[in-house]
Amino acid sequence: MPQDLLLVLLIGLPFAGSIAAALFPTNARNAEAWLAAAIALAGLAIFWIFYPQMSNGEVIRFELAWLPAFGLGFTLRLDGFAWMFGVLVTGIGFLVVLYARYYMSPADPVPRFFSFFLAFMGSMLGVVLSGNLIQLVFFWELTSLFSFLLIGYWHHNAAARDGARMSLVVTSAGGLCLFAGALLLGHIVGSYDLDGLLGAGDRIRTNALYLPALILVLLGALTKSAQFPFHFWLPHAMAAPTPVSAYLHSAAMVKLGVFLIARLWPVMSGTDAWMWIVGIAGLCSLLLGAYAAIFQHDLKGLLAYSTISHLGLITVLLGLNSALAAVAAVFHILNHATFKASLFMAAGVIDHESGTRDIRRLNGLYRFMPITATLAMVAAAAMAGVPLLNGFLSKEMFFAESLTVEGPVESLNRAMRFIAVLWGMFSVAYSLRFIHGVFFGPAPTGLPRTPQEPPRWMRFPIELLVLACLVVGILPTLTIGPILDVGVRALLGANTPSYQLAVWHGFTTPLVMSLVALAGGALLYALLQKYLARGVDKVPLLPPADGRRIFDRVLMVVSWRWARSLDAMLGTRKLQSQLRWAITAALLAGLWPVWQQGLQWGPLPWSDIHPALAIAWAIGAACAFGAAWQAKFHRLVALVLLGGAGLVVCLTFVWFSAPDLALTQLLVEIVTTVLLLLGLRWLPKRIPFVWTLPGALAALPRRLRDLAIAVASGAGLAAIAYAVMTRPLPDNTISRYFMEHAYPQGGGTNVVNVIIVDFRGFDTLGEIAVLGVVAITVYALLRRFRPARESTALPEPQKEQSPATVAEDLLVPAVIMRLMFPAIALLAAYLLLRGHNLPGGGFVAGITLAVAVILQYMAGGTRWAESHLAIRPLRWMGAGLLLAGAAGAGSWLFGYPFLTSHTAHLRVPVLGELHLPSAFFFDLGVFSLVVGATGLLLIALAHQSVRD
Amino acid sequence: MDHLVIAPVVVPLAAGGLMLLLDERRHALKAALGLVSLALLLAAAGALVARADTAVAQVYQPGNWPAPFGIVLVADRLSAVMVLLAAVLGMAALVFSLARWHRAGPRFHSLLQFLLMGLNGAFLTGDLFNLFVFFELLLAASYGLALHGSGTARVRESLHYIVINLNASLFFLIGVSLLYGVTGTLNMADLALRIPAVPASDRVLAEAGAAILGIAFLVKAGMWPLGFWLPATYAAAAAPAAAMFSILSKVGVYAVLRLWLLLFGSGEGAELILYGGMATLAYGLIGMLASQDLSRLAGFSLLMSAGTLLAALGSATPAATGAALYYLVVSTLGIAAFYLLIELVQRTRKPGADVLAVTAEAFGEGDEEDEPEHQAGVAIPAAMALLGLSFACCALLVAGLPPLPGFVAKFAILAALLGAEQVPGAAWALLVLLTLSGLASIVAMARSGVRIFWASESSPPRVRLIEMAPVGALLALCLALTAAAGPVMEYMQHTAQTLHAPRAYIERVLSP
Amino acid sequence: MELIVALGIGVLAGCGVWLLLRPRTFQVIIGLSLLSYAVNLLIFIMGWVRDGRAPIVSTTAAVDPSSFTDPLPQALVLTAIVISFATTALLLVVLLAARGFAGTDHVDGREQEE
Repeated sequence: MPQDLLLVLLIGLPFAGSIAAALFPTNARNAEAWLAAAIALAGLAIFWIFYPQMSNGEVIRFELAWLPAFGLGFTLRLDGFAWMFGVLVTGIGFLVVLYARYYMSPADPVPRFFSFFLAFMGSMLGVVLSGNLIQLVFFWELTSLFSFLLIGYWHHNAAARDGARMSLVVTSAGGLCLFAGALLLGHIVGSYDLDGLLGAGDRIRTNALYLPALILVLLGALTKSAQFPFHFWLPHAMAAPTPVSAYLHSAAMVKLGVFLIARLWPVMSGTDAWMWIVGIAGLCSLLLGAYAAIFQHDLKGLLAYSTISHLGLITVLLGLNSALAAVAAVFHILNHATFKASLFMAAGVIDHESGTRDIRRLNGLYRFMPITATLAMVAAAAMAGVPLLNGFLSKEMFFAESLTVEGPVESLNRAMRFIAVLWGMFSVAYSLRFIHGVFFGPAPTGLPRTPQEPPRWMRFPIELLVLACLVVGILPTLTIGPILDVGVRALLGANTPSYQLAVWHGFTTPLVMSLVALAGGALLYALLQKYLARGVDKVPLLPPADGRRIFDRVLMVVSWRWARSLDAMLGTRKLQSQLRWAITAALLAGLWPVWQQGLQWGPLPWSDIHPALAIAWAIGAACAFGAAWQAKFHRLVALVLLGGAGLVVCLTFVWFSAPDLALTQLLVEIVTTVLLLLGLRWLPKRIPFVWTLPGALAALPRRLRDLAIAVASGAGLAAIAYAVMTRPLPDNTISRYFMEHAYPQGGGTNVVNVIIVDFRGFDTLGEIAVLGVVAITVYALLRRFRPARESTALPEPQKEQSPATVAEDLLVPAVIMRLMFPAIALLAAYLLLRGHNLPGGGFVAGITLAVAVILQYMAGGTRWAESHLAIRPLRWMGAGLLLAGAAGAGSWLFGYPFLTSHTAHLRVPVLGELHLPSAFFFDLGVFSLVVGATGLLLIALAHQSVRD
Repeated sequence: MDHLVIAPVVVPLAAGGLMLLLDERRHALKAALGLVSLALLLAAAGALVARADTAVAQVYQPGNWPAPFGIVLVADRLSAVMVLLAAVLGMAALVFSLARWHRAGPRFHSLLQFLLMGLNGAFLTGDLFNLFVFFELLLAASYGLALHGSGTARVRESLHYIVINLNASLFFLIGVSLLYGVTGTLNMADLALRIPAVPASDRVLAEAGAAILGIAFLVKAGMWPLGFWLPATYAAAAAPAAAMFSILSKVGVYAVLRLWLLLFGSGEGAELILYGGMATLAYGLIGMLASQDLSRLAGFSLLMSAGTLLAALGSATPAATGAALYYLVVSTLGIAAFYLLIELVQRTRKPGADVLAVTAEAFGEGDEEDEPEHQAGVAIPAAMALLGLSFACCALLVAGLPPLPGFVAKFAILAALLGAEQVPGAAWALLVLLTLSGLASIVAMARSGVRIFWASESSPPRVRLIEMAPVGALLALCLALTAAAGPVMEYMQHTAQTLHAPRAYIERVLSP
Repeated sequence: MELIVALGIGVLAGCGVWLLLRPRTFQVIIGLSLLSYAVNLLIFIMGWVRDGRAPIVSTTAAVDPSSFTDPLPQALVLTAIVISFATTALLLVVLLAARGFAGTDHVDGREQEE
C-alpha cells in the first residue's frame, strides 16, 4: 500500500471508528473495546512500518488541494518528532482502551465514550501529523471540543459539567489565540506550510511581529498544557472518568502544548522574550504544581498537580534556549507519559475497587491489593525520580542543565539549581504521600467497598507501563534510545547536540542534587505528617484562591454583567429611538455630500407663481400641520386633515398634467380614508390627557430634538426638490424612447399606461403581487383579530337609536347607493378598456369596482351586502395573478420573452377604434387582482362589525 | 430563446397564485404544490449557477424591450448563488413547516412562495426601481410570515419591523428618484456608465441619493445602529419564517455589494461599510453574551455574521470579498438551521430555564458538592442526542470553529486581509474582533448548551423526522462546504473579481 | 411655482417625520402617509417639465418628447402609490391587532413614562 495512503489511514481510521462506535447498542462494552483497540493497534502498526524511514531521517508528506485560493492544502507530514508522538498517542491509547473496557461499568452508555475517545485520538493524530499551521489549529480545536465532551461524560454531576465547560472555554480560547498567531506567522513567512515555516527561523525572529506572534502562539500552548497561570482547569478536569484522565491528562491532550512549543523551538526560540515567557511560565508551574500536589487529598487531584509540575519541567527545559535541554524535554515527554498514565490507572483501580479516591480515607491497601500496590509504588518512584527508573534519567538531565543556565538575569541563573532541588524534594514528598498514604498504615475503615485486586486484564496496562519505566530506567540506550533519537534529530536537525543516556555518569553534581532531593523530600514528608493527618482542605502559604471560583466570577462579570450593561447602553428595543436613529442616519447620509460639495440651485429661473395653486398649498400645509397636531387626541380630525392634504397633492398632479396620477391618487385617497374610518371603530377613545407642567418639561428636550430632526428632514427634502426642479431634465432620459415607441410598438397613446402594462409591465406584476400578499396577510391577521375589550361595545349613537330608525334614516341614500352599483361597475369597465389610450387602466378600474362594493356595505350593512353579492376575493386575486402571469407567459408561445406585447386592432361600437394588445389581458389580470385585494381589505375590516 | 433566467420569478408566482384559488383546508394539496415549486426552483437555480460560471452574465429582457429602456434580469454568478441559497432555505423551511407550522394560520404556503418570488426577483433584476418593487414584495411577504401564527409578541415585534421597513422603503424611493432625476435612467448597468458622466454641479444630488439609498439597504442588513429590530423580530417569528429570514438580512448586504461596487467602484463609502460592519460585529457579540434565550442568541449571531460580512466587504479587496461571499453562504445556512433547531429544543424547556443557565453560573451551582462516588453515566435518548449534535454544529459554525465551515470562512477573510504586504490597521482590528466574537460565541453557546443537554431533567422532546431532516440536511450541507471549500471558494473568488471589475457585466447587459 | 411645490414637499415631509417619532400608533400611520405623499411628489417632480403637456401622444403626428412631462416618473409614482396604499392598510390592521393584544396603542405595546 502506498505510504501516503497509510498516512491518511492514520487519521481516517479513528474518525471512521468513532462514527461506527456511535452506532453500537448501549451495552456493547466488548465490541466497542475491540473496535477501539483494533484501531489503536492499527495506528501503532502503521507507525511501526514507517520506522525505517524515520530512523534515517526522512520526511513523508501527503498533499491534497483544499483551499488553493489561499495556498492551503490538506497536508499530512510525518517526521521523526511527529512519529515519536504518534507512537505515544496510539500506544498509550491502546492501553487505555484496554483499561477502560474494565473500568466502565456495564451500565455506562459506552458508545458515546468510545466514539468520543476515538474521535479525540483522531484529532490528536491530526495535530501531530499536520503539515501546515491552519490545519494544525483545525485539529487543535477539535481536541478541545472532544476533551470537553469526554470530561463531561458523566454530565449528570455538576462537577463534571463545570469542569468540562471550564476546560472548553480556557483551551479553545487559547486555540483562538493560536489561530491568530498562526495567521501572523503565515503573514510573516508568506506561507502556512510547516516546512516553509521551519526554514524561516531568522525571518521570524527578526520580524517586527515576532513578539505578538510569539505571545499568541504561547497563549495557545500554555492553556493547552495547563501551565501557569492557566493551570487551574486541569484539577477540575479530574471529574472525568479515569481512563480519560489517564489518556488526555498524561499522554495526549496536555502534551499538545509542549508539542507545539517543541515544534516551534527551532524557529522561535533563542530570544530573551522566549526565555522569559516560556521559562517563567514553566518555573511557576513547576514549583506551584509540585508544592500544591503535596497537599491534595484526592488521588487524582494529586496526580493532576504533579502533571502540571512535570509539564512545567518540560516547558522550562524548552525555555532554556539550549539544545541539550530540548533533548531532555523530549525525553521527559516520553517518561512522564509512561509513569503518569500508569499512576492514573492505578488511582482508577483504587477508586474502582475501594469506592473512594480520598487519601484521608484510604489506608494500608497493600494487604488487599499487593500487586497493584507494588506497581503503583514503582511508578510513583519513577515520578519521584528514583534511580534505575526512567524518571530519574530525565530529571538528571534537568539538574545538569540547571547548572549551566545562560539567561539574561545572572542571579536567576544561579538560583536555578536550588529551584531544581526544591522541585525534586516536593516531587519526592508527594510521591511518598501517594505511596505511604494509600498502601501503608492500619487497615482502612468504612470504605464503600472492601478493596481487592482488579481483574487480570485491567491491571495489564499498568504492568506494561511500569515495566517500561523499569526497562528504560535500567537500559536506556537499548530501549528508548533509538526512539528518542529519531524524535530529537527530526526536531533539532543539524544542531542536534551529542548526548548519551546512561544510568551512571559518575559521581557528579546532578547526582548529589538527586540524593539531596530524595533525602530532603523524605524529611519534608515526615515533617508534614502531622499537618496532613489533620486533613485540612487547604494548601498552606498559598492564597486560598480556588482557580475555578475566580474563573467563574470573572466570566460572570465580564460575559454577563458587563455585557448586559453594554447591551443596554448600545442597544434599544423602543421603536421611537430606532426610527430616530434611522432618520438621523439618512439625514446625515444626504447631508454629507452637500456638506462636502455644496448644493447650488439649477440655472432655470422661477416660473411665475399661480395664486390658485399657492392657496391650495397654503391649505395643504395647514392640513398637514393640523394632522400632525391632532393625530394624538382627535384621530377623526387628523384623518380628515390627512385627506385634505392628499387632495392638494392630487390637485398638484392635475395641475402639472399627470391625469393618471390624479385619478389614482383620488381613488386611493377615498379607499384609504374608508379603511381608516373602519379602523377607527376599533381604536378606543384616548384616556383624557392631563397636562402637567413637570410632565411637559420632562418631555420638552425630547420634543425639541424630534422637532429639530423633523424640520431638518423637511428642509432637506424641500431643498433637494427645489434644486431638482430648477434643473432641466437630463437630455437623454430613457423616457424619450417610451414617448416615441408608445404608440408604434406599445399600441397605446397614454404613455404612462403603456409604461405600466408594457415597457415596465414587470414592475406592475410585482406590484400587484405586493397588493395580493398584503391582502392575504390582513385576512390572516383579522381571522385571529381580538379587539380591545372596551371597544367591543356599540358606539354611543348606535345605542341610542334602534336599528329600524337607522334603516329609515338611511333609506333614501341606501336605495340610491344600491342603484349606483351597476353604474359604477360600468364606469369601472369603461376605465379599464380605455386605459391604454386615456387616463384609466386596470388598477383604477379595480379600485372603482371595489368602492362600488364597499358602498353596498355602507348602504345595506354588512349582513345584507354579504347575503346579496357573494364575492370571493381570494379567487379574484388568484385568478388575477394567474391571468397576468399567463398573459406574460403567453408570449413564450410566439418565442418571445416573458410579457412581450402583441396588438390586435378591432373596431367596437361606442368605444370606437380599439386596440387589443395582449397587454390588455395583463391589465385585466391587474384589474381582477385589485378588485379582489381591495375588496378583501375593505370587507375583512367591515366584517369585524358583525363579530359577536 | 430560453427562459431559465425568469423561471425563479415565474414559478413561485404561478404556485402562489394557484394556492390562492385553493380552499383553506386543502393543506396537503398546497404542500404538494409548494414542494413541486421548490423542486423546480432548486433545479433552475442549480442550472443558473452552473451556467453563470461560464458566461459573464445571462441577460433576459421581459417585454422584449432593449436595455436600458426595458427592465432586464441579469443572472451573473452572485445572483445565481443567492437564488440557489434562497431555494435551499425555502425547501428546508417548507419541509420543516409541514410538521405543524403550516397549519398555524391560513395561507402560509402562498406567503412562502411570494417571499421566494420577491427574493429571486430582487437577486436577479438589473433595474433599480424593479429592485424596489421586489424588495417591497419580499418585505410584504416577510410581514405576513412574521405575523404567521399571530400572538401578542409576534404582533408587537412585527409592528416595529413593519414601521421601520416602511420608513426604509421611503428612503429607497428618495434615493432611486434622485438617481433617476440626475442620470435619467434606471438600468443599473446604464447608471454605472452615466454616473461618472454626471456634470459636477449635479453630482452632489446623485451622491446624496446614493447615500440615502445605502442607508435603506443597511437598515435591512441590520448594521448597527440601524438593526436593533432584527433580533427581537426574528425571535418572535415562527421557526420556519425565522429560518427564511436568515437570508433577508443578507438581501441588504447583497444590494450594497451589487450597487456600491457597480455604481461607485470600491472607492467611496468603503470606510462607512468597514467601520459600520465592525461596530455591528462588536454589538452582535456583546448582545450574544447578554441574551438569555436561544432565539435572541440566534438573532445576535445573525448580527455578528452581518457585521463580519460588511467589514470584509468594506475592506474592498477582491480576495476578501470572495471570502466574505463564502462566509455569507455558510452563515446563512447555519443560522437558518439554528432557528429551526431552537424551536425543537425549546419544546422541552420550562419557561425561565434559560435564566437559570446564567444565575446558576452566578452562584456557582454545584460548587459545594464534592466528587461523587463513581456511578454509571446516563444514556442520552436518541432524539436528544441528535438535537445536541446539531446544536454543537450550530455553535461551532457561529463561533467559527472547525470542522464547520465558519472556520474556513474566517480564515479566508483574515488571510485575504493579511495577505497584503502593507496590512491596514483595520485588518488588525478585525482580527481582534473576530477572535473575540469566537470566544463570546463559545462562552454563550456552552452556557446554554450545557444547561439544555446535560443539566436538564426535562423529558426528551417529541421530534418528528420531517422536522429533524431539514436541520440535518442544512448542517450536512455546511460540512460538505468545508470539504468542498476549494471549488466553492474559487467560484466565489471569480464572483468577487467580476464584481470589482464590472466592465464586462455592463457591456454584457447593455449589448446582449 | 417651483418654490411652492418644494415648500409643500418640505412641509409634508416635516410633519410626517414629526409624527413618525411620536409614541402612538395612529400618529405613526398618519405620519407615514404624509411622508409618502411627500416622497411621491418628489419622484413626480423628477420628470418636471415647465408647462409640459400630459404624456398622451397623438396617433398620427410625430412625437416631440420635450413638449411633454416625463412619463416615467409618473409611472413610478403610480406603482409607489399602490404599494404605499397596500402597506398602509397592512399597518392599520397590525396596529389594530396590537391594540387588541397589548391593550394600549403605544408603539412599544406598553405604556411607559417617556
